[in-house]
Amino acid sequence: MSAWSQSLDNPVSERLRDPATTGYVALGLGAFAAFLAIPPIEARSPAWPVAVGIVAIALGIWTATRGRRKLGYGAVVAGLLGIGLGILATRSGTGNLETAFDATLIDQTFGLATPLVFGAIAGMFSERSGVINIGLEGMMLMGAFFGVYGSDKGGSWVVGLLIGMASGGLLALVYAFFAIHLRSDQIVGGTAVNFLAVGITGYFFQLVYNGQVSGNVSTVPNVHISGLGNFLESSIGNLSLLTWASFALVILAYIVLFKTPIGLRIRACGEHPRAADTVGINVYVIRYCCVVLSGLLVAIGGVYLSLGPQGNGTFIFDMTSGKGFIALAAMIFGNWRPAGAFAAALLFGFSNALALKLQVYSPQASTLFAILPYVLTLVAVAGVIGRTVAPAADGKPYAKQ
Amino acid sequence: MSDELVLEMRGIRKEFPGVVANDDVSFDVRRGEVHALLGENGAGKSTLMNILYGLYRPDAGEIRLNGKPVLFGSASDAIEAGIGMVHQHFMLIPVMTVAENVVLGTEPVKDGVLLDEAAAEKRVADMAKTFKFAVEAGALVQDIGVGQQQRVEIMKALYRNADILILDEPTAVLTPQEALDLFEILRTLQREGISIVFISHKLNEVLEIADRITVLRRGKTIETVPRDGATERSLARAMVGRDVLLRVEKPPSQAGDVLLEVEDLWVSDDRGIEKVRGVSFEVRAGEIVGIAGVDGNGQTELIEALTGLRRAERGVIRVGGRKLHQSSARDVLDAGLGHIPEDRQRRGLVLEFSLAENIALHDYGEPPDSKWGWLFPGRLVERARRLIQEFDVRGGGPLTPAGALSGGNQQKVVAAREISRDPKALIAAQPTRGLDVGAIEYLHRRIVAERDEGRAILLVSLELDEIFSLSDRILVLYEGEIVGKHEGAVSEEQIGFEMVGLKEEAPA
Amino acid sequence: MSEPKKDLVESPEQAAETGTLAARLSLGQRAGGIAVPIVTVVLAFLLGGLVVLATGHNPLLAYRDIFDGAGLNWIFHPTTSTQALSAYNLTQTLLQSTTLIFTGLAVAFAFRCGMFNIGGEGQYIVGLVVANWIGVNFAGMSTLPHVLIAIIGATLAGAAWAGIAGVLKATTGAHEVISTIMLNWIAIYTATWLFGAGGPLQTTAPGQSTNPVSSDIAHTAELPVIWGAKGFQGLDIGFFIAIAALVVFWALINRTTLGFEVRAVGFNPDAAAYGGINVKKNLIRAMAISGAFAGLGGAVDMLGYLYHYGSLDVQNSAAGGVGFIGIAVALLGRNTAVGVFLGSLLFGGLIYGTTQGLSSSVIQPELASNVTLIIEGLVVLFIGADLLILYVWNSRKRLRRQPPAQAPAKATA
Repeated sequence: MSAWSQSLDNPVSERLRDPATTGYVALGLGAFAAFLAIPPIEARSPAWPVAVGIVAIALGIWTATRGRRKLGYGAVVAGLLGIGLGILATRSGTGNLETAFDATLIDQTFGLATPLVFGAIAGMFSERSGVINIGLEGMMLMGAFFGVYGSDKGGSWVVGLLIGMASGGLLALVYAFFAIHLRSDQIVGGTAVNFLAVGITGYFFQLVYNGQVSGNVSTVPNVHISGLGNFLESSIGNLSLLTWASFALVILAYIVLFKTPIGLRIRACGEHPRAADTVGINVYVIRYCCVVLSGLLVAIGGVYLSLGPQGNGTFIFDMTSGKGFIALAAMIFGNWRPAGAFAAALLFGFSNALALKLQVYSPQASTLFAILPYVLTLVAVAGVIGRTVAPAADGKPYAKQ
Repeated sequence: MSDELVLEMRGIRKEFPGVVANDDVSFDVRRGEVHALLGENGAGKSTLMNILYGLYRPDAGEIRLNGKPVLFGSASDAIEAGIGMVHQHFMLIPVMTVAENVVLGTEPVKDGVLLDEAAAEKRVADMAKTFKFAVEAGALVQDIGVGQQQRVEIMKALYRNADILILDEPTAVLTPQEALDLFEILRTLQREGISIVFISHKLNEVLEIADRITVLRRGKTIETVPRDGATERSLARAMVGRDVLLRVEKPPSQAGDVLLEVEDLWVSDDRGIEKVRGVSFEVRAGEIVGIAGVDGNGQTELIEALTGLRRAERGVIRVGGRKLHQSSARDVLDAGLGHIPEDRQRRGLVLEFSLAENIALHDYGEPPDSKWGWLFPGRLVERARRLIQEFDVRGGGPLTPAGALSGGNQQKVVAAREISRDPKALIAAQPTRGLDVGAIEYLHRRIVAERDEGRAILLVSLELDEIFSLSDRILVLYEGEIVGKHEGAVSEEQIGFEMVGLKEEAPA
Repeated sequence: MSEPKKDLVESPEQAAETGTLAARLSLGQRAGGIAVPIVTVVLAFLLGGLVVLATGHNPLLAYRDIFDGAGLNWIFHPTTSTQALSAYNLTQTLLQSTTLIFTGLAVAFAFRCGMFNIGGEGQYIVGLVVANWIGVNFAGMSTLPHVLIAIIGATLAGAAWAGIAGVLKATTGAHEVISTIMLNWIAIYTATWLFGAGGPLQTTAPGQSTNPVSSDIAHTAELPVIWGAKGFQGLDIGFFIAIAALVVFWALINRTTLGFEVRAVGFNPDAAAYGGINVKKNLIRAMAISGAFAGLGGAVDMLGYLYHYGSLDVQNSAAGGVGFIGIAVALLGRNTAVGVFLGSLLFGGLIYGTTQGLSSSVIQPELASNVTLIIEGLVVLFIGADLLILYVWNSRKRLRRQPPAQAPAKATA
């Protein structure tokens, strides 16, 4: 819990005087400056983003000089970016703008964010118990392939989902054995697991499907909501079942981790395993369970990739292409909390969706936009937006005395 | 307080490789009493209590709880039996609240699945009120003071219905005021019928709070006395003893110029607590100045400041007349100060490096070891070979990794490195910690030899024998201040008194 | 005898337990010597073979075909003419190994300083891009300076790319694993954009405007070929540059003060600081040098046989790219020069032998290449676990080093 969020209990007057408040406002204004120029507001005069951006920069400088330097400079950068992007948007044709920024952008954001949400929550459980899980990428890939395999051989996407989850959980079990029992270096182990997953899925993909899944494989259905009006219907009226499941997962994860005794114990294992041990908590069992759980959850994200609206029942070699790592980044960016991880995943999903939409301008822009999640994570890890605080015992093998 | 015995430990023996920590120790506790376990470092107090708490198994002896014999396989067994322990190193989770820390493992539940935070906070708040703990149940542990954190540890034990509470050197981390608050709390606990074992080495505190006092020395029970009738002097005598120990034959010192000088030094630790408070002394060429004191009275911080590993708040340090200002470890080394560190495995040696590389750890960057960045391993090995022979290091040659050597030989390597750099002043911190007799003897003789070469030597040690054996002058450090300066003959008793804060004079 | 002093949260035993990463990896090295890597590889091949067997193929025949595919059967019928298939295969294997030597050295150097450089892929790509750019432009130069400048530029670029992660670690404590992974993807996407249709470095050759590939480098920037024909991807002198890099690595680590400092920081930062070594400076330096090796690898490949690079190539590298394989090479080779050399030969042979080189009725190249990935994964997994060390080495010897920190703690009272 950062000092600033704690101060939310303080009287309003005190919060207003805290420079951090101004800093965050400035950050928001910077983003708003760009937002002004796109639909629905679609201000056409560059004066608007410039004006708002300048306010953001000013407040950022004020924040920086009042002691919150990193936050302040971050706001200044946000303001500059907002001006730049806003001006760019005002100079583009309204036709293109409206193609790029319509309600389906929201639909795509949620869709692209879904595997990230599963991955981030999965990683969160593992790391909260004290085990770093770099192997999320590999476990997601297992879910992607074996989801298709299960759905194909089993006849329904439900079977595919279960088999996919099981494959992710199994790989996680192997990883857990090496990381917890043998106390191997967790990052090396996670990297190994990723290699293994690419090899295993590639091998069986070749063997069973000869490189191409043909025929109709049962896919995960979308949830149709009608009668919402045009905007809502395009944005959330046609999301995949798994996307809605991911929302539920975020809420569930929050409750489990912060409102139940087991969640308290998990967090204790991640912060101070010896303290947990001395009050009779079995650190090993909890860590094993959390790692396997993380495998199960991230594999659902993988199943979404292949059996969901984007994959439509196909699999390609190394289908995840880094999404597992982005999910990890979302987890870090979200400070190991469900709500934060969810917000970060949405942000990354948004930038991904925007990248696709921006192809209406040029393919180049979309490629460059794809870089955004990674840059944001670098920024987060470097501690620009507050300090990210990992669970204290994250990554340190525990040996019972 | 009644005469009923809640706890009896009889004939406890516990041996570790090379040392008998508890030798036929007997100890008992009456219901509702505060029983102090008094002794110096290494006397066997913590070992005894770790046995009671189920962390060790005794080699011999028996434990009875309320008359019934018990054998604990783990801390959980002990907790179940009603024994609670507040360790010196707290087992608290900084980012969680007080209430969460207290209930962890036995959490109250509502609706079958959810954590009942409100109930937890209420129970903890009630407990705090009953015992007048002045701790907020909802506060984060990392935000509260050390004294309050200690009370959270106590609450953990009480929450699990402990009726015997063991406190291991509880005032080591407290300010004097916090210590007084703790005593108040202990008295309140007593009134509630809880029996307390208070492990300490501080005489004044023990006399303040204890009903009975058991003194341990070198693993043996010396005496158990009621507080009435015990005086600081009688206790100190029991603690320190009158054993005459090994002395090194040494000619009297011929002191020359001042090579190491400290003036009004103030040093704080990581938490901002002043650990060295206005210390001044000097060490001349050709003399050994020993700083005696019980662990935790500022020695570590003093050494860290002197060797450039920690900034002093204020004060002046001079080596060879040159003032050291905000120096780094490198500067201090270059100024001519050598240092045999306390923790040779963490600070002194790179265990994976060979002996030759370790010996070169300070000087690798200069000729003859290297030139323009190019290393000459041959020269490193040569130098190491010479030093290994000179210092009689056994267990390997210049290319052996340092980790393969025994503790004594490792220390010899460290000493060899430091001494071979021809420092003006040498600081030896706990130089013989964990070593066997032969290694101790060698190092002692070596230190005296270096003194005779004209070096200024500052010896900081927790072993009184070592201080007496080697020092030409003895300073006593207590709670960050020099409380005694002795030259020439002084009794061990006198030093012992000063080390525990006694202001009286020992009988001549 | 006193309790070792620690702050309130950590206990003495806990601190003594988990040494630095470099220490644990080197423990493995001294513990088993050459035996451990050999056993690890054998075990990995065995398990890989089991997977092959379980899916209905004959592992022994498959491995023999891979052996041939790698050109190792050349040993039995040596010839200098690359018309012979085995000779040709061997040149290709050596080409592949060349790259792996560089990326392996990159990972190994960082490991020596206690850091895990997963960013070899990105640093390699950065080197590729810079070498390509320099190679394409400045066509008027004569060969030697052109090649030199390209190589130096790429090396510096790789060093800078890795240096970012080093600086982040030294100043903000950001974990180098996360930052190098992020930098990897930034490099991959940037390169995709650069070489993509309409990108700034896309080829300007006529009729190629939709081909997302870079221009070819000028002939003056190409490295001479020593075995085989230039047009057919012969083995270029890059192989010898790689050997030279191995020597430089060895010299840096074992014969310079820089290497001394890097190793000290990797094993025990506290003792290093106490010895007067600037820990932060060394973290940055080690990452930069590490990236330099990878960048150099990119240059050698670009100038040696690739001559151009495309967006598709970049995408392919994401999964089992040379940077990642470098991790397996470095770990298998215990972060030593000789080990990296041998490891790169093994994996180079394995990779080429299971892909283009494979002409097999027993197992298809696609399957075989995945077996390679599985083997790689197993190798890294086993090495990371010190698994075999527990069995190969006398555990008593290992415990003797750790409890000296523990025993006094327990023996105090």
